[in-house]
Amino acid sequence: MGIIPTVTDAALVAAVADGETGALRELYERHGAWLHARLLRRCNDPEVVVEVVQDTFVALWKDARRFRHDGEVGAWLWGIAFRRMVSRLRSRHDVVLLPEWDVPAGPRHVLPSAEDLVLLGIEYGDLASALRRLSPEFRSVVQAVVLDGLTTKEAGRLLGVRENTVKTRLHRAKAQLRAALAEPQEGWR
Amino acid sequence: MTTETQGWHADPALLSSYLAGALDAVTGASVEQHVNRCGSCRRSVSHLLEPRLVERTWAGIRDAVERPPLPVPIRLARRLGLPEPTAVLLAAAASLRSAWLVGAFLSLSFATLAAYLSGGTALAPFLLVAPLAPVLGVAAAYGPRQDSLEALVATAPYGRTRLILLRTLAVLVSVLPFTALLGLALPGPLWLAAAWLGPALALVPVLLALAGFVGPRVAATVVLLGWSSVVVASTRRGLGPSWPVEAGQQGVYLVLALAACAVIAVRLGIDRQRGVAL
Repeated sequence: MGIIPTVTDAALVAAVADGETGALRELYERHGAWLHARLLRRCNDPEVVVEVVQDTFVALWKDARRFRHDGEVGAWLWGIAFRRMVSRLRSRHDVVLLPEWDVPAGPRHVLPSAEDLVLLGIEYGDLASALRRLSPEFRSVVQAVVLDGLTTKEAGRLLGVRENTVKTRLHRAKAQLRAALAEPQEGWR
Repeated sequence: MTTETQGWHADPALLSSYLAGALDAVTGASVEQHVNRCGSCRRSVSHLLEPRLVERTWAGIRDAVERPPLPVPIRLARRLGLPEPTAVLLAAAASLRSAWLVGAFLSLSFATLAAYLSGGTALAPFLLVAPLAPVLGVAAAYGPRQDSLEALVATAPYGRTRLILLRTLAVLVSVLPFTALLGLALPGPLWLAAAWLGPALALVPVLLALAGFVGPRVAATVVLLGWSSVVVASTRRGLGPSWPVEAGQQGVYLVLALAACAVIAVRLGIDRQRGVAL
């Protein structure tokens, strides 16, 4: 909807801290749907996602004062939401979705166009191909810790392995990535 | 922050395949990194997502946000690990409200002060009040006249016995600790500080057993008069100030308590279906 697009997210958080439900609604309009989408990619149960998003915005309502105005509101909300989901999924590994690292072959599968790939690739450069070459255990650790911003402890909880294992894997994965990035750029089609 | 990055935006087809889980992890992660920082793409996502799901979530958030905050005692009880419905049921009991608790605390304090000033010769006020405070608290915790939730409780599928025992426990928890603390201030041997617990714990089941027959008000009156006459008679006859709580008498209280518990148990067994023993 975006009724007040000129107001920044941070200003809206400040308004929420003053008890304005309208500001909360506007923040929900801006971030709620995307939060659902991101969580649904990690959890198979829409009920859990709905509850986690509810918890997240109720937490925002209660703790808006604690927002440090040096980061992005979206990232802050994601941090709250994903942590809550990980602790909720501790006993429910059946609904955890791990990302598909090999391109799934579906009939209605839409591949991003070459232009899209190049533009998305800006975020990573040849990191993408380096990531693809990691072994599955390493990739899931990189996904949880580097991309989703979990601590190694929380990542261990999510992936069902010990914290030390996460640390070791992360360390080795980073070394492999560094080595791959140092190589002269080869096949990035 | 709605920073529009580089003028490029993920097109709806790309976003839909992200939502459908059809992208591989690296492309998916790239889409996420972009949309995280792009307000316009986040808006596109909200058009692609099931609107009912998003609205349902908002309804829950609005309910939680607009609900008036619970009173302090209920929040305190919840912090201690009680489920919310139980906390609300407890808080509705008259004798668990702050006015009642302050009253009990004051009368106990005065009784202790009297015993303290007399140097141990006048224990009667304390011995009179200390066991009666929990008894009256329990009596005031339920029943048609005292309970503001009575109409609800009577029709709800919630065991009455369970409610009464729950509130009894809550009253004991709220009254006994500070009575015990005041008891430590009593002059005389240290065992006196704990001796009042005997009659206090015995009179509660007696009250509950009686209340099953005649209701909490009459039962409280009977127990009150009974205990007062024991304490007053002991001073009149010139027995020692601690006579009501000495070993022999404690045995009598124990027997009384056991008998009362037996009565309650038997009546519970008979009335299991209707749950009206208490």
